[in-house]
Amino acid sequence: MAYLELRQVTFSYPRKMKPALTGINLNFEKEEITAITGPNGCGKTTLTKLMIGILKATEGEIYLAGRPLTDYSLAEIGSRIGYVFQKPDLLLFCSTVAEEIGFGLTNRGCDPETVQKRIKFYLDYFELTDYRNDFPLHLSQGEKERLAIAAMLANEPEFLILDEPTIGLDAYRKKLLENYLKKIARLGRGMILVSHDAPFVNRLAERVVFMADGRIQVCNERKGNDGYEA
Amino acid sequence: MSAKEMTAMKLDPRTKMVMVICLSCLALIYNTPGRLLLVLAATIVLLLIFRFDPSAVFGYLKPFLSLMLILFVIQCIFSPGGNVLLTVGPVPLVTDNGLLVGSSVVLRIIVVIAAAMLLTTFSSRDFILGLVQWKVPYEVAFMVFIALRFLPIFREEAINVITAIQLRGIELKKVPWGQKMTIYRQLFFPLIYGMMQKAQQLAVSMEARGFRAYPRRTYLRRLNFNLTDYVVMLLFSAVTLMLILLQIT
Ligand SMILES: Nc1ncnc2c1ncn2[C@@H]1O[C@H](COP(=O)(O)OP(=O)(O)OP(=O)(O)O)[C@@H](O)[C@H]1O
Ligand SMILES: [Mg+2]
Repeated sequence: MAYLELRQVTFSYPRKMKPALTGINLNFEKEEITAITGPNGCGKTTLTKLMIGILKATEGEIYLAGRPLTDYSLAEIGSRIGYVFQKPDLLLFCSTVAEEIGFGLTNRGCDPETVQKRIKFYLDYFELTDYRNDFPLHLSQGEKERLAIAAMLANEPEFLILDEPTIGLDAYRKKLLENYLKKIARLGRGMILVSHDAPFVNRLAERVVFMADGRIQVCNERKGNDGYEA
Repeated sequence: MSAKEMTAMKLDPRTKMVMVICLSCLALIYNTPGRLLLVLAATIVLLLIFRFDPSAVFGYLKPFLSLMLILFVIQCIFSPGGNVLLTVGPVPLVTDNGLLVGSSVVLRIIVVIAAAMLLTTFSSRDFILGLVQWKVPYEVAFMVFIALRFLPIFREEAINVITAIQLRGIELKKVPWGQKMTIYRQLFFPLIYGMMQKAQQLAVSMEARGFRAYPRRTYLRRLNFNLTDYVVMLLFSAVTLMLILLQIT
Protein backbone atom coordinates (compact mmCIF):
# COMPACT_ATOMS: atom_id res chain seq x y z
CA MET A 1 0.00 0.00 0.00
CA ALA A 2 1.38 3.37 -0.98
CA TYR A 3 1.66 6.13 1.60
CA LEU A 4 -0.01 8.74 -0.59
CA GLU A 5 -2.22 7.57 -3.39
CA LEU A 6 -3.98 9.68 -6.01
CA ARG A 7 -6.66 8.03 -8.11
CA GLN A 8 -8.06 9.76 -11.17
CA VAL A 9 -7.77 13.14 -9.50
CA THR A 10 -9.20 16.08 -11.39
CA PHE A 11 -9.33 19.61 -10.09
CA SER A 12 -10.74 22.88 -11.42
CA TYR A 13 -10.49 26.25 -9.74
CA PRO A 14 -13.84 27.93 -9.24
CA ARG A 15 -15.00 30.03 -12.19
CA LYS A 16 -12.44 28.46 -14.53
CA MET A 17 -13.43 26.42 -17.52
CA LYS A 18 -10.26 24.44 -18.02
CA PRO A 19 -9.33 22.06 -15.19
CA ALA A 20 -5.94 22.74 -13.58
CA LEU A 21 -5.38 18.99 -13.19
CA THR A 22 -6.87 16.14 -15.19
CA GLY A 23 -6.96 12.42 -14.35
CA ILE A 24 -3.89 12.26 -12.13
CA ASN A 25 -2.86 8.78 -10.99
CA LEU A 26 0.18 8.71 -8.72
CA ASN A 27 1.56 6.69 -5.83
CA PHE A 28 4.14 7.88 -3.32
CA GLU A 29 5.94 5.49 -1.01
CA LYS A 30 6.72 6.58 2.49
CA GLU A 31 10.46 6.24 2.13
CA GLU A 32 10.84 7.54 -1.37
CA ILE A 33 12.11 10.86 -2.72
CA THR A 34 10.04 11.98 -5.69
CA ALA A 35 10.57 15.10 -7.71
CA ILE A 36 7.83 16.84 -9.68
CA THR A 37 8.85 19.14 -12.49
CA GLY A 38 7.19 20.85 -15.42
CA PRO A 39 6.70 24.27 -16.97
CA ASN A 40 5.16 27.24 -15.13
CA GLY A 41 1.45 26.88 -14.61
CA CYS A 42 1.30 23.15 -15.34
CA GLY A 43 -0.34 22.51 -11.97
CA LYS A 44 2.47 21.40 -9.66
CA THR A 45 1.55 23.69 -6.80
CA THR A 46 -2.11 22.84 -7.23
CA LEU A 47 -1.25 19.14 -7.01
CA THR A 48 0.65 19.58 -3.74
CA LYS A 49 -2.14 21.67 -2.26
CA LEU A 50 -4.55 18.85 -3.02
CA MET A 51 -2.26 16.35 -1.34
CA ILE A 52 -2.25 18.22 1.96
CA GLY A 53 -5.93 19.02 1.88
CA ILE A 54 -5.86 22.80 1.36
CA LEU A 55 -7.78 22.19 -1.85
CA LYS A 56 -10.33 19.44 -2.36
CA ALA A 57 -10.30 17.29 -5.49
CA THR A 58 -13.22 17.97 -7.83
CA GLU A 59 -13.19 14.34 -8.93
CA GLY A 60 -11.24 11.27 -7.86
CA GLU A 61 -9.83 10.18 -4.52
CA ILE A 62 -6.70 10.78 -2.51
CA TYR A 63 -5.61 8.33 0.19
CA LEU A 64 -3.16 8.98 2.98
CA ALA A 65 -1.88 5.85 4.74
CA GLY A 66 -4.86 3.93 3.40
CA ARG A 67 -7.57 6.32 4.58
CA PRO A 68 -9.30 8.87 2.36
CA LEU A 69 -7.74 12.30 2.82
CA THR A 70 -11.17 13.77 3.47
CA ASP A 71 -11.31 11.80 6.75
CA TYR A 72 -8.43 13.80 8.18
CA SER A 73 -8.53 17.30 9.60
CA LEU A 74 -6.01 19.80 8.30
CA ALA A 75 -4.11 19.58 11.58
CA GLU A 76 -3.92 15.78 11.37
CA ILE A 77 -2.49 16.00 7.88
CA GLY A 78 -0.15 18.75 9.00
CA SER A 79 1.27 16.68 11.82
CA ARG A 80 2.05 13.85 9.37
CA ILE A 81 3.15 15.80 6.33
CA GLY A 82 5.38 18.85 6.53
CA TYR A 83 4.54 21.29 3.77
CA VAL A 84 6.49 24.32 2.64
CA PHE A 85 4.64 26.71 0.36
CA GLN A 86 6.18 28.16 -2.75
CA LYS A 87 5.73 31.55 -1.06
CA PRO A 88 7.33 31.15 2.36
CA ASP A 89 5.61 34.35 3.60
CA LEU A 90 2.39 32.40 3.79
CA LEU A 91 3.85 30.15 6.47
CA LEU A 92 5.36 32.80 8.70
CA PHE A 93 3.09 34.33 11.28
CA CYS A 94 5.04 34.75 14.53
CA SER A 95 6.79 37.81 15.95
CA THR A 96 10.29 36.37 16.08
CA VAL A 97 12.31 33.79 14.18
CA ALA A 98 12.82 31.64 17.28
CA GLU A 99 9.11 31.69 18.12
CA GLU A 100 8.35 30.66 14.55
CA ILE A 101 10.46 27.51 14.85
CA GLY A 102 9.08 26.64 18.28
CA PHE A 103 5.44 27.46 17.54
CA GLY A 104 4.25 23.99 16.56
CA LEU A 105 6.12 22.24 19.37
CA THR A 106 5.00 24.67 22.07
CA ASN A 107 1.39 24.52 21.10
CA ARG A 108 1.35 20.76 20.89
CA GLY A 109 2.48 20.54 24.46
CA CYS A 110 6.21 19.79 24.22
CA ASP A 111 8.05 20.66 27.42
CA PRO A 112 9.85 24.03 27.18
CA GLU A 113 13.31 22.56 27.58
CA THR A 114 12.98 20.25 24.57
CA VAL A 115 11.49 23.11 22.58
CA GLN A 116 14.44 25.38 23.39
CA LYS A 117 16.91 22.66 22.46
CA ARG A 118 15.26 22.02 19.12
CA ILE A 119 14.97 25.73 18.35
CA LYS A 120 18.67 26.10 19.02
CA PHE A 121 19.51 23.14 16.82
CA TYR A 122 17.53 24.37 13.82
CA LEU A 123 18.69 27.97 14.24
CA ASP A 124 22.25 26.67 14.17
CA TYR A 125 21.80 24.29 11.29
CA PHE A 126 20.10 26.77 9.00
CA GLU A 127 22.38 29.57 10.17
CA LEU A 128 19.60 31.74 11.49
CA THR A 129 20.99 32.20 14.99
CA ASP A 130 21.91 35.84 14.36
CA TYR A 131 18.31 36.58 13.43
CA ARG A 132 16.59 34.69 16.22
CA ASN A 133 14.92 37.81 17.62
CA ASP A 134 14.15 39.38 14.27
CA PHE A 135 10.73 39.72 12.71
CA PRO A 136 10.28 36.87 10.18
CA LEU A 137 8.75 39.02 7.45
CA HIS A 138 11.83 41.29 7.53
CA LEU A 139 14.17 38.49 6.51
CA SER A 140 15.56 38.20 3.00
CA GLN A 141 13.93 35.82 0.55
CA GLY A 142 16.48 33.05 1.12
CA GLU A 143 16.36 33.50 4.88
CA LYS A 144 12.57 33.27 4.85
CA GLU A 145 12.77 30.07 2.83
CA ARG A 146 15.24 28.57 5.31
CA LEU A 147 13.08 29.65 8.22
CA ALA A 148 9.95 28.13 6.67
CA ILE A 149 11.81 24.87 6.10
CA ALA A 150 13.29 24.91 9.61
CA ALA A 151 9.90 25.60 11.21
CA MET A 152 8.43 22.69 9.32
CA LEU A 153 11.29 20.30 10.08
CA ALA A 154 11.21 21.17 13.78
CA ASN A 155 7.85 19.39 13.94
CA GLU A 156 9.54 16.21 12.68
CA PRO A 157 6.83 15.16 10.23
CA GLU A 158 7.02 11.68 8.70
CA PHE A 159 6.78 12.95 5.13
CA LEU A 160 7.70 16.23 3.47
CA ILE A 161 6.34 18.19 0.56
CA LEU A 162 8.54 21.08 -0.51
CA ASP A 163 7.33 23.45 -3.21
CA GLU A 164 10.34 25.08 -4.86
CA PRO A 165 12.59 24.78 -1.81
CA THR A 166 15.72 26.04 -3.57
CA ILE A 167 14.28 29.31 -4.86
CA GLY A 168 16.31 32.17 -3.46
CA LEU A 169 18.93 29.94 -1.83
CA ASP A 170 22.58 30.52 -2.66
CA ALA A 171 24.75 27.58 -3.74
CA TYR A 172 26.12 27.04 -0.25
CA ARG A 173 22.69 27.07 1.44
CA LYS A 174 21.35 24.80 -1.27
CA LYS A 175 24.05 22.29 -0.41
CA LEU A 176 23.16 22.57 3.28
CA LEU A 177 19.52 21.89 2.52
CA GLU A 178 20.44 19.01 0.27
CA ASN A 179 22.58 17.41 2.97
CA TYR A 180 19.83 17.80 5.52
CA LEU A 181 17.22 16.29 3.22
CA LYS A 182 19.55 13.36 2.52
CA LYS A 183 19.99 12.87 6.24
CA ILE A 184 16.23 12.82 6.74
CA ALA A 185 15.83 10.41 3.86
CA ARG A 186 18.31 8.02 5.47
CA LEU A 187 16.05 8.05 8.55
CA GLY A 188 13.36 6.60 6.32
CA ARG A 189 11.31 9.73 5.78
CA GLY A 190 10.21 10.31 2.23
CA MET A 191 9.49 13.53 0.44
CA ILE A 192 8.13 15.21 -2.66
CA LEU A 193 10.21 17.98 -4.16
CA VAL A 194 8.62 20.36 -6.62
CA SER A 195 11.45 22.08 -8.41
CA HIS A 196 12.78 23.57 -11.62
CA ASP A 197 16.28 23.05 -10.33
CA ALA A 198 17.35 20.03 -12.39
CA PRO A 199 20.78 19.42 -10.81
CA PHE A 200 19.30 19.61 -7.31
CA VAL A 201 16.48 17.26 -8.24
CA ASN A 202 18.81 14.82 -9.94
CA ARG A 203 21.09 14.59 -6.95
CA LEU A 204 18.23 13.80 -4.58
CA ALA A 205 15.30 12.20 -6.31
CA GLU A 206 14.81 8.50 -6.91
CA ARG A 207 11.95 9.22 -9.23
CA VAL A 208 11.03 12.19 -11.39
CA VAL A 209 7.49 13.00 -12.45
CA PHE A 210 7.14 15.33 -15.43
CA MET A 211 3.94 17.29 -15.73
CA ALA A 212 2.57 19.36 -18.56
CA ASP A 213 -0.77 21.11 -18.85
CA GLY A 214 -2.31 19.50 -15.80
CA ARG A 215 -1.39 15.94 -16.73
CA ILE A 216 1.36 13.48 -15.90
CA GLN A 217 3.66 13.21 -18.93
CA VAL A 218 6.41 10.84 -17.84
CA CYS A 219 7.19 9.07 -14.61
CA ASN A 220 10.88 8.14 -14.48
CA GLU A 221 12.46 5.74 -12.03
CA ARG A 222 16.02 6.80 -11.78
CA LYS A 223 17.33 4.53 -9.00
CA GLY A 224 20.92 3.57 -9.71
CA ASN A 225 21.10 5.95 -12.62
CA ASP A 226 23.66 8.58 -11.82
CA GLY A 227 24.32 9.64 -15.36
CA TYR A 228 22.62 12.98 -14.74
CA GLU A 229 24.86 13.82 -11.85
CA ALA A 230 25.79 17.47 -12.22
CA MET B 1 -30.82 36.05 -18.02
CA SER B 2 -34.34 37.27 -17.37
CA ALA B 3 -35.48 40.76 -18.34
CA LYS B 4 -35.53 41.79 -14.71
CA GLU B 5 -31.96 40.74 -14.20
CA MET B 6 -30.88 42.57 -17.30
CA THR B 7 -32.12 45.88 -15.97
CA ALA B 8 -30.65 45.18 -12.58
CA MET B 9 -27.22 44.50 -13.97
CA LYS B 10 -27.23 47.77 -15.82
CA LEU B 11 -27.83 49.99 -12.80
CA ASP B 12 -25.26 52.71 -12.32
CA PRO B 13 -22.82 51.98 -9.48
CA ARG B 14 -23.89 55.21 -7.85
CA THR B 15 -27.45 53.97 -7.67
CA LYS B 16 -26.21 50.94 -5.80
CA MET B 17 -24.21 53.17 -3.48
CA VAL B 18 -27.36 55.08 -2.68
CA MET B 19 -29.10 51.78 -1.94
CA VAL B 20 -26.34 50.77 0.43
CA ILE B 21 -26.47 54.11 2.19
CA CYS B 22 -30.26 53.84 2.55
CA LEU B 23 -30.10 50.32 3.96
CA SER B 24 -27.32 51.25 6.36
CA CYS B 25 -29.24 54.32 7.56
CA LEU B 26 -32.31 52.22 8.23
CA ALA B 27 -30.21 49.67 10.09
CA LEU B 28 -28.79 52.41 12.30
CA ILE B 29 -32.13 54.08 12.96
CA TYR B 30 -34.13 50.97 13.75
CA ASN B 31 -33.66 49.45 17.16
CA THR B 32 -36.06 46.54 17.32
CA PRO B 33 -35.11 43.07 16.06
CA GLY B 34 -38.35 42.76 14.08
CA ARG B 35 -37.77 45.84 11.92
CA LEU B 36 -34.10 45.03 11.51
CA LEU B 37 -35.06 41.59 10.26
CA LEU B 38 -37.26 43.26 7.65
CA VAL B 39 -34.34 45.42 6.51
CA LEU B 40 -32.18 42.32 6.37
CA ALA B 41 -34.79 40.56 4.26
CA ALA B 42 -34.88 43.52 1.87
CA THR B 43 -31.10 43.45 1.63
CA ILE B 44 -31.09 39.75 0.83
CA VAL B 45 -33.70 40.25 -1.89
CA LEU B 46 -31.52 42.96 -3.42
CA LEU B 47 -28.47 40.72 -3.26
CA LEU B 48 -30.44 38.03 -5.07
CA ILE B 49 -31.53 40.51 -7.74
CA PHE B 50 -27.90 41.45 -8.32
CA ARG B 51 -27.03 37.78 -8.44
CA PHE B 52 -24.87 37.80 -5.37
CA ASP B 53 -25.07 34.52 -3.46
CA PRO B 54 -26.41 35.52 0.00
CA SER B 55 -24.79 32.48 1.59
CA ALA B 56 -21.43 34.02 0.69
CA VAL B 57 -22.26 36.82 3.13
CA PHE B 58 -21.71 34.34 5.92
CA GLY B 59 -18.11 33.95 4.86
CA TYR B 60 -17.61 37.67 5.24
CA LEU B 61 -19.35 37.64 8.60
CA LYS B 62 -17.14 34.95 10.09
CA PRO B 63 -14.29 37.24 11.15
CA PHE B 64 -16.82 39.42 12.96
CA LEU B 65 -18.50 36.57 14.83
CA SER B 66 -16.51 36.93 18.02
CA LEU B 67 -16.96 40.70 17.96
CA MET B 68 -20.71 40.26 17.54
CA LEU B 69 -20.83 37.76 20.38
CA ILE B 70 -18.96 40.11 22.70
CA LEU B 71 -21.22 43.03 21.76
CA PHE B 72 -24.27 40.85 22.27
CA VAL B 73 -23.19 39.80 25.74
CA ILE B 74 -22.23 43.32 26.77
CA GLN B 75 -25.53 44.77 25.54
CA CYS B 76 -27.45 41.97 27.23
CA ILE B 77 -25.85 42.59 30.58
CA PHE B 78 -25.67 46.36 30.63
CA SER B 79 -29.03 47.35 29.14
CA PRO B 80 -31.26 48.55 31.96
CA GLY B 81 -34.95 47.86 32.45
CA GLY B 82 -37.27 45.06 31.40
CA ASN B 83 -38.30 41.84 33.07
CA VAL B 84 -35.52 39.93 34.75
CA LEU B 85 -34.87 36.52 33.21
CA LEU B 86 -31.73 35.49 35.07
CA THR B 87 -30.24 36.71 38.33
CA VAL B 88 -26.82 36.00 39.78
CA GLY B 89 -27.01 36.64 43.51
CA PRO B 90 -28.57 40.06 43.98
CA VAL B 91 -27.67 41.24 40.46
CA PRO B 92 -30.25 40.93 37.68
CA LEU B 93 -27.99 39.67 34.87
CA VAL B 94 -30.22 39.11 31.85
CA THR B 95 -33.42 41.00 31.16
CA ASP B 96 -35.75 40.64 28.20
CA ASN B 97 -34.92 44.21 27.27
CA GLY B 98 -31.23 43.36 27.29
CA LEU B 99 -31.82 40.43 24.95
CA LEU B 100 -33.73 42.65 22.53
CA VAL B 101 -31.06 45.35 22.53
CA GLY B 102 -28.32 42.73 22.17
CA SER B 103 -29.89 41.00 19.19
CA SER B 104 -30.60 44.39 17.56
CA VAL B 105 -26.93 45.29 17.72
CA VAL B 106 -25.95 42.00 16.12
CA LEU B 107 -28.59 42.30 13.40
CA ARG B 108 -27.45 45.83 12.69
CA ILE B 109 -23.91 44.65 11.99
CA ILE B 110 -25.19 41.86 9.76
CA VAL B 111 -27.33 44.27 7.72
CA VAL B 112 -24.49 46.74 7.23
CA ILE B 113 -22.11 44.01 6.08
CA ALA B 114 -24.68 42.36 3.84
CA ALA B 115 -25.57 45.73 2.28
CA ALA B 116 -21.90 46.43 1.67
CA MET B 117 -21.82 43.26 -0.43
CA LEU B 118 -23.92 45.14 -2.98
CA LEU B 119 -20.82 47.22 -3.62
CA THR B 120 -18.98 44.14 -4.80
CA THR B 121 -21.48 43.50 -7.59
CA PHE B 122 -19.93 46.11 -9.87
CA SER B 123 -16.35 46.54 -10.93
CA SER B 124 -14.01 48.66 -8.88
CA ARG B 125 -13.25 50.84 -11.91
CA ASP B 126 -16.91 51.78 -12.19
CA PHE B 127 -16.91 52.55 -8.52
CA ILE B 128 -14.09 55.07 -8.82
CA LEU B 129 -15.56 56.49 -11.99
CA GLY B 130 -18.90 56.99 -10.29
CA LEU B 131 -17.39 58.84 -7.35
CA VAL B 132 -15.20 61.00 -9.56
CA GLN B 133 -18.14 62.07 -11.69
CA TRP B 134 -19.76 63.15 -8.47
CA LYS B 135 -16.80 65.52 -8.08
CA VAL B 136 -15.14 63.43 -5.40
CA PRO B 137 -11.37 63.96 -5.84
CA TYR B 138 -9.76 61.00 -7.56
CA GLU B 139 -7.33 60.38 -4.71
CA VAL B 140 -10.15 60.13 -2.21
CA ALA B 141 -12.20 57.88 -4.47
CA PHE B 142 -9.18 55.68 -4.99
CA MET B 143 -8.55 55.50 -1.28
CA VAL B 144 -12.13 54.37 -0.65
CA PHE B 145 -11.64 51.78 -3.35
CA ILE B 146 -8.40 50.54 -1.80
CA ALA B 147 -10.07 50.30 1.59
CA LEU B 148 -12.78 48.14 0.05
CA ARG B 149 -10.16 46.07 -1.75
CA PHE B 150 -8.34 45.49 1.50
CA LEU B 151 -11.23 43.83 3.28
CA PRO B 152 -10.92 40.66 1.20
CA ILE B 153 -7.12 40.83 1.42
CA PHE B 154 -7.36 41.00 5.17
CA ARG B 155 -9.72 38.07 5.16
CA GLU B 156 -7.41 36.08 2.90
CA GLU B 157 -4.44 36.88 5.10
CA ALA B 158 -6.35 35.68 8.16
CA ILE B 159 -7.36 32.47 6.38
CA ASN B 160 -3.75 31.88 5.31
CA VAL B 161 -2.51 32.21 8.85
CA ILE B 162 -5.17 29.87 10.20
CA THR B 163 -4.24 27.33 7.52
CA ALA B 164 -0.54 27.68 8.30
CA ILE B 165 -1.19 27.10 12.00
CA GLN B 166 -3.18 23.96 11.32
CA LEU B 167 -0.50 22.70 8.98
CA ARG B 168 1.88 22.85 11.93
CA GLY B 169 -0.31 20.16 13.43
CA ILE B 170 -2.33 22.29 15.81
CA GLU B 171 -6.01 21.44 16.03
CA LEU B 172 -7.35 24.96 16.60
CA LYS B 173 -10.84 23.68 17.36
CA LYS B 174 -9.56 21.49 20.18
CA VAL B 175 -7.18 24.00 21.72
CA PRO B 176 -8.46 25.22 25.11
CA TRP B 177 -9.72 28.81 25.27
CA GLY B 178 -6.84 30.24 27.25
CA GLN B 179 -4.25 28.92 24.83
CA LYS B 180 -6.31 29.99 21.85
CA MET B 181 -6.36 33.55 23.17
CA THR B 182 -2.59 33.44 23.57
CA ILE B 183 -2.20 32.24 20.01
CA TYR B 184 -4.49 34.94 18.63
CA ARG B 185 -2.72 37.60 20.64
CA GLN B 186 0.59 36.39 19.27
CA LEU B 187 -0.74 36.53 15.72
CA PHE B 188 -2.29 39.96 15.86
CA PHE B 189 0.83 42.03 15.33
CA PRO B 190 2.35 39.94 12.50
CA LEU B 191 -1.01 39.89 10.71
CA ILE B 192 -1.41 43.66 10.80
CA TYR B 193 2.21 44.12 9.88
CA GLY B 194 1.94 41.78 6.91
CA MET B 195 -1.00 43.80 5.63
CA MET B 196 0.81 47.07 6.07
CA GLN B 197 3.70 45.67 4.12
CA LYS B 198 1.32 44.79 1.29
CA ALA B 199 -0.21 48.27 1.38
CA GLN B 200 3.23 49.82 1.20
CA GLN B 201 4.20 47.69 -1.78
CA LEU B 202 0.97 48.71 -3.47
CA ALA B 203 1.70 52.40 -2.89
CA VAL B 204 5.20 52.07 -4.31
CA SER B 205 4.06 50.18 -7.38
CA MET B 206 1.26 52.72 -7.94
CA GLU B 207 3.68 55.61 -7.89
CA ALA B 208 6.08 53.75 -10.10
CA ARG B 209 3.27 53.48 -12.63
CA GLY B 210 2.54 57.18 -12.53
CA PHE B 211 -0.28 57.51 -10.00
CA ARG B 212 -0.66 61.27 -9.36
CA ALA B 213 2.26 62.08 -11.62
CA TYR B 214 0.05 64.35 -13.73
CA PRO B 215 -2.28 66.97 -12.31
CA ARG B 216 -5.26 65.87 -14.41
CA ARG B 217 -6.18 62.38 -15.33
CA THR B 218 -8.42 61.39 -18.14
CA TYR B 219 -11.13 58.78 -18.31
CA LEU B 220 -11.99 56.52 -21.18
CA ARG B 221 -15.62 56.08 -20.32
CA ARG B 222 -18.37 58.15 -18.83
CA LEU B 223 -21.06 56.62 -16.70
CA ASN B 224 -24.54 57.68 -17.59
CA PHE B 225 -27.61 57.59 -15.46
CA ASN B 226 -30.56 56.18 -17.30
CA LEU B 227 -34.20 56.42 -16.39
CA THR B 228 -34.17 53.27 -14.24
CA ASP B 229 -31.36 54.73 -12.18
CA TYR B 230 -33.27 57.90 -11.46
CA VAL B 231 -36.42 56.00 -10.60
CA VAL B 232 -34.70 53.48 -8.36
CA MET B 233 -32.63 56.12 -6.63
CA LEU B 234 -35.58 58.38 -6.02
CA LEU B 235 -37.72 55.50 -4.82
CA PHE B 236 -35.10 54.27 -2.41
CA SER B 237 -34.31 57.68 -0.96
CA ALA B 238 -37.98 58.57 -0.62
CA VAL B 239 -38.94 55.33 1.08
CA THR B 240 -35.95 55.50 3.40
CA LEU B 241 -36.67 59.10 4.34
CA MET B 242 -40.28 58.27 5.00
CA LEU B 243 -39.37 55.28 7.15
CA ILE B 244 -36.87 57.35 9.10
CA LEU B 245 -39.43 60.08 9.70
CA LEU B 246 -41.97 57.50 10.82
CA GLN B 247 -39.45 56.04 13.21
CA ILE B 248 -38.49 59.37 14.74
CA THR B 249 -42.00 60.70 15.31
N1 LIG C 1 -6.25 30.44 -6.94
C1 LIG C 1 -6.35 30.20 -8.24
N2 LIG C 1 -7.48 30.51 -8.91
C2 LIG C 1 -7.61 30.25 -10.22
N3 LIG C 1 -6.67 29.70 -10.98
C3 LIG C 1 -5.51 29.36 -10.39
C4 LIG C 1 -5.29 29.61 -8.99
N4 LIG C 1 -4.04 29.17 -8.68
C5 LIG C 1 -3.52 28.69 -9.82
N5 LIG C 1 -4.38 28.79 -10.86
C6 LIG C 1 -4.15 28.34 -12.25
O1 LIG C 1 -3.91 26.95 -12.24
C7 LIG C 1 -2.86 26.60 -13.10
C8 LIG C 1 -1.79 25.83 -12.36
O2 LIG C 1 -1.18 26.65 -11.39
P1 LIG C 1 -0.05 26.13 -10.41
O3 LIG C 1 0.23 27.22 -9.42
O4 LIG C 1 -0.42 24.82 -9.87
O5 LIG C 1 1.20 25.99 -11.41
P2 LIG C 1 2.71 25.55 -11.09
O6 LIG C 1 2.96 24.32 -11.88
O7 LIG C 1 2.91 25.47 -9.63
O8 LIG C 1 3.53 26.75 -11.71
P3 LIG C 1 4.93 27.39 -11.24
O9 LIG C 1 6.00 26.61 -11.89
O10 LIG C 1 4.87 28.79 -11.78
O11 LIG C 1 4.96 27.35 -9.76
C9 LIG C 1 -2.34 27.91 -13.69
O12 LIG C 1 -2.84 28.01 -15.00
C10 LIG C 1 -2.91 28.99 -12.80
O13 LIG C 1 -3.23 30.12 -13.55
MG1 LIG D 1 4.06 26.45 -8.29
